[in-house]
Amino acid sequence: MNHQLHNRREHLFGLGAGVGSVAFSSMLAEAADSDGAQQPHFPEAKAKHCIFLYMEGGPSHIDTFDPKPKLRDLHLQEFNRSGEEQSAMSSGKRYYVQSPFEFKRHGESGADMCHLWENLAGVADELCFYRGCQVESVNHPTANYHINTGNRFGGDPALGSWVNYGLGTENKDLPGFIVLPELAHPQGGAANWSNGFLPTSLQGTPLRPKGSPILDIHPRAEITRPHQRKTLDFLGQLNKRHANRHPGHDQLAARMESYELAFRMQMQVPDIVDISGESKQTLDGYGVDQEPTDNLARRCLLARKLVEKGVRFVQLYASTWDSHDYIAKAHGSLIPSVDKPIAALISDLKERGLLEETLIVWMGEFGRTPDNGVRGGGVAYGRDHNPNAMTVWMAGGGCYAGHTVGATDEIGAQAVEHVHHIRDFHVTLLRLLGLDDNKLSYYHAGRFKQLSQFGGKVIEELMA
Amino acid sequence: MYKPLLVVAIVASLAACGSASAQDEQVTEAEKLFALKVRPLLREKCHACHGADSDRIEGSFDLSSREKLLAGGESFGRDVVVPGNAADSYIYSMLKRTEPDFAMPPKEAEQLTEEQTWWVRDWINGGAPWPNDDRIAEIYDRYAEGVAWKTSGGLSDEWTKRKYQPEDLWAYRPLWKDDDKRLKGETGSAAIDALIGDRLCDAGVNAAPGASRQVLVRRAFFDLTGLPPKPHDVAAFVGDARDDDIVYAEMIGQLLDSPHYGEQWGRHWLDVVRYADSSGFANDWERPNSWRYRDYVIRAFNDDRPYDQFIREQIAGDEIVALRKTEAGATHSATATDSELLIAAGFLRMGPWEHTGMSVAKVTRQLFLDDITDSVGQVFLAHALQCCRCHDHKFDPIPTEDYYSFQAVFATTQFAEVDAEWLSSENRSGIAEDRRYHQMRQKANSKMLNVLSEKKAANDQKWFEEQGLPYKTRAEAKQADAPKEHFPPNNLLKTPDDFGQERIGRKWQARFPWEMDRYKPIAFTVYSGKTPPMRSIAARIQKPPNPMAKGRLENTAILTGGDLFAPAKPVSPAVLSAVPGGLEFSVPDTIEGRRSALADWIASPQNTLTSRVMVNRIWQHHFGRGLAGNPNNFGTTGRKPTHPELLDWLAGEFIRSGWSVKHLHRLIMMSDTYRRSTSHPDAKSLAEKDSENELYAVFLPRRLSAEELRDAMLAVSGELNPAPGGIPVRPDMNLEAALQPRMIMGTFAPSYVPNPRPEDRNRRSVYALKLRGHRDPMMETFNQPGSEKSCEIRDSSTISPQALTLLNSDETNDRALAFAADVLVTTASDAAAVEVIYQRAFARRPATDETTAAVRHWREMEAVHSHLTFKPREYPTEVIRRASEENTGEPFSFTERLFVYDDYVHDLQPHEVDARTRALGDVCLAILNSNEFVFVY
Repeated sequence: MNHQLHNRREHLFGLGAGVGSVAFSSMLAEAADSDGAQQPHFPEAKAKHCIFLYMEGGPSHIDTFDPKPKLRDLHLQEFNRSGEEQSAMSSGKRYYVQSPFEFKRHGESGADMCHLWENLAGVADELCFYRGCQVESVNHPTANYHINTGNRFGGDPALGSWVNYGLGTENKDLPGFIVLPELAHPQGGAANWSNGFLPTSLQGTPLRPKGSPILDIHPRAEITRPHQRKTLDFLGQLNKRHANRHPGHDQLAARMESYELAFRMQMQVPDIVDISGESKQTLDGYGVDQEPTDNLARRCLLARKLVEKGVRFVQLYASTWDSHDYIAKAHGSLIPSVDKPIAALISDLKERGLLEETLIVWMGEFGRTPDNGVRGGGVAYGRDHNPNAMTVWMAGGGCYAGHTVGATDEIGAQAVEHVHHIRDFHVTLLRLLGLDDNKLSYYHAGRFKQLSQFGGKVIEELMA
Repeated sequence: MYKPLLVVAIVASLAACGSASAQDEQVTEAEKLFALKVRPLLREKCHACHGADSDRIEGSFDLSSREKLLAGGESFGRDVVVPGNAADSYIYSMLKRTEPDFAMPPKEAEQLTEEQTWWVRDWINGGAPWPNDDRIAEIYDRYAEGVAWKTSGGLSDEWTKRKYQPEDLWAYRPLWKDDDKRLKGETGSAAIDALIGDRLCDAGVNAAPGASRQVLVRRAFFDLTGLPPKPHDVAAFVGDARDDDIVYAEMIGQLLDSPHYGEQWGRHWLDVVRYADSSGFANDWERPNSWRYRDYVIRAFNDDRPYDQFIREQIAGDEIVALRKTEAGATHSATATDSELLIAAGFLRMGPWEHTGMSVAKVTRQLFLDDITDSVGQVFLAHALQCCRCHDHKFDPIPTEDYYSFQAVFATTQFAEVDAEWLSSENRSGIAEDRRYHQMRQKANSKMLNVLSEKKAANDQKWFEEQGLPYKTRAEAKQADAPKEHFPPNNLLKTPDDFGQERIGRKWQARFPWEMDRYKPIAFTVYSGKTPPMRSIAARIQKPPNPMAKGRLENTAILTGGDLFAPAKPVSPAVLSAVPGGLEFSVPDTIEGRRSALADWIASPQNTLTSRVMVNRIWQHHFGRGLAGNPNNFGTTGRKPTHPELLDWLAGEFIRSGWSVKHLHRLIMMSDTYRRSTSHPDAKSLAEKDSENELYAVFLPRRLSAEELRDAMLAVSGELNPAPGGIPVRPDMNLEAALQPRMIMGTFAPSYVPNPRPEDRNRRSVYALKLRGHRDPMMETFNQPGSEKSCEIRDSSTISPQALTLLNSDETNDRALAFAADVLVTTASDAAAVEVIYQRAFARRPATDETTAAVRHWREMEAVHSHLTFKPREYPTEVIRRASEENTGEPFSFTERLFVYDDYVHDLQPHEVDARTRALGDVCLAILNSNEFVFVY
């Protein structure tokens, strides 16, 4: 809380001009001396950026990348589940459900994919599948918080904040952590990209898919830029006179500078989100202006642009995979809406030589059950939430591409090989980005805190 | 029973192994080093990877015994420790971090200090002895520095007997008494100055002179009410010819009597308890009756409710009511006091909470118990107890047994929304109108569902026809006892729109009646009883007629490693044993009365934490930081008080005054310390001598909080409606954010719509609807904390989105224009207008050159505006939602009517005023954005 001390760190991050009301760690202080980018703990790490494709709602591993032929034999067999460890929805009369989709193996690696992944099949050898991840929460927001922040109850910094905290920024005029949500925010809201106890400048900045990309980025339409400039100049006069009377108060300068930065951002941000300059081939490749891909295609393309501009961490949301019923229809139309844009993103990054330094992660907040309950009096095949098994895949960024690591049991209920808690996966992601979870800590409320909460283990099998 | 036996056992064992005891035999320095320094170090820094879990030993290097240690690991073999020769021992170079690639521990933040590496060095050089546990215990007992602290006992004997640095235990010691007459007879505010003065004097720092009246009036108004002084307030205070102390004391008195005082200081409390109007997590629906707790808090501060009573009401209000009922017998009839108490106990339910179809009831229950244990610890005792859920506290004298004993106090606490008659002071003015809009929404929803059922019926009929069955409806088929296959599929809707709309409509339908509870006299509260079976929650939770009839009586036990399904030793309700008197304090294990007992213990003058914690919070809000730097953590890891005697003296004063918070305000604000200027005549030397700003040589300026900023803009523009309390109001929110679609449990949350009339929108921010999952972006941008965790202190960092919001948002532009228009009504000249603007916004007159500059800018902008035509702002009367339908994955759309906008009365708009007014609006916009407006000195 030392307002008297001039704080150089405040201009570090494009959007944020965080003034030192938080005790900055020495790590940030070092960053202030350089150009903003920081030396990672593991300089040999390949990944410098991360694009996190968040499949909100919990995609079914059984119907996407983890075939379970055994369920054909068990299909519609009834059983009963009870006990105090069961939820209202998962207890009582249940029946096994087979996948409505056909599976094939693709690429030299023979990656399992259901038949709807027509485009992703073409880049199968770029992917590293992981079937051993487990989480704790069975409800969406708490599960989202867990994946995003390492803490089920929210309030802690998001992965993207940690990565920026560790790696610093490559582009001082842009936030290092950008979120491209669906029109509807994911469950749990903005706490999914919160800076938590890290400096405010590290929070995720959502770029809205419709309307103003950043809230209040522009004044109302009648106010021209020269008009606003005049207001700012007058404001500058007021502030300058005031600052002369309060020479010891350094927050004043930071606040004055934040207005100039905001004024510059008004010019830059619309430029960045504009994808009209891309070639027709690229636009078509991603599926822009095509249905059902347009929605994600635009954001995947934007993600590539942002990575090119030096943004460290881009998170995209695609929803909602919460197919409790009618999974054949629900997953049946979701997969084609994400398949082409994602495959195009991987190919595009590869062509531009960026895949190696960009880690792509695809996952939801949990997997789904091999069985379903009887609800609404009808039989509408679907699946409930399953924290014990899921499929995650990665591409680029030094992951073990062309391999499938871990396995679930024969019905997909439980991870059984290379089983790791999400915290180990977090540690692994940081490691791929050159960061050591144990070193990437921040002193808050009486102890050093880290993404994995209590420390974790790198899943070596996932690294090339 | 258990404890004394244990002590006897230890004494016996000491006697038995007399010859081997440390008392008789020579203890070597190396042994001492090992027992006191090296072994704890290995445990803290190394064992997690090298010894704690024999199945997972990193690098096959095990530090759990001397044999294993000497055997070494896969990297250095037996050279890892060479007894008698530290220089050749790899462990020493690893710990010094000079061994390439093997710096240990890996966490840089955990690296050893040089002194710590010397312990290891000297221990190895001394032969690396490894005495057995008994001997270690004896050595520890005899030679360890620090003091042991008595608690109920940890999971291990070693923890129980461990010692603490005396300074870490400050919060458990009795309050400081001025035995050496440091106060030199000073009392009241002068005592504060004396104790602050001691440290200034020690540091050779002179305090800054007192702030001028002009500065003080703005400081005091914002501090106590969160609002700027009006020009006549400033004139009255600054112009009063009487002595400073008299005039100033009078002003403080007036501010403390203002109803706005409770709004400001109640808000600080609401940060700590995580107040919100919705449940958070998956079920982020509104909590219809939460607002009555918010008003309770504001009332309590305004009434200067004694803090001990405030504690009892919030922790055990419902039990006090139950007791009153029992005592009065049949003659008891519900009173306003009962309502107040029931509402107060809503404190226990302020955290986020969810229970869905996917939730396991037992887990949900445990999450509540863990949450309330931790939050009561943080809020009243400045101890985050969650660390002790899985193990004895690593640093504080809080054993895991205490955690579960404390939790047992809440084992009979159950949720309920009970009838509680209105209080005469509760503002119910907005209810009728709010209800009307609610009913309109409900009607529109029913209509939509009716259309869908008609569609379904038509589809059923068609299906029967196609199947060649003789029925037209399901009812007919049922009447005819038709076989199962003669019924159409359950949900015979065709289009994704139908599916999606039906889902939304159905979920809303289920929700509407519950939301109507907002308008009824219901308290969001708790009762004591058995834990009832819990299905997913879709309606008001009623208190069962007999709380003991159904459910299970919870028996709390220590949960091994925090695992709900691994209960170990059963525990009885108790309080924190480390706090003096805590060990002896008895909490009944009856169903009722547990929380009352806990509240009594917390609210006792003997509790060394309670008064310090509250006094520290009060101090923090006056000065921007607490005397102890972590108001929620008085444990060993929290920042120590900078002025411990002052904290204690204030805590004593607090108790002596009958726990009067207003007494504390007076004491603090009348002090010279509080009244100092923000600038120091010798700033450079001050920065050198007091780089951490710990000495209070100057008063630190602060930025207005999010709520203060908005309220101040409304106050200076003349639009603020100062009405107190009532159901949450809905100010204008950035329209894009307000209509931002948001999912709750597979449906869209209803859109955020503002109140239709300006006077209802332009209420104070503390009354604004606070949804956990849908926050006002302006509030959020200006660091209003979320309601997930208790907020001990707000961040006040500067980020660029703040500039965008304050410069471009409708909210500030509307205020600026209203400000200009209002000023023009009452002023006759340009200079006069500028003068009023300065007086309202900055609480001072402009200098001549300031007036000239403002008028010049005004003229210039008028020239710009004379060529501009503004369009009226358009407001949506409906919003179309698009999403992929959860069950089909296909896109669907849904139209929500926004009835409020049919009647919406907008604030003053640019198209309604002339260029001169708009131009002055631009001047005002700059004023509202200026540093002088947003900072308080």
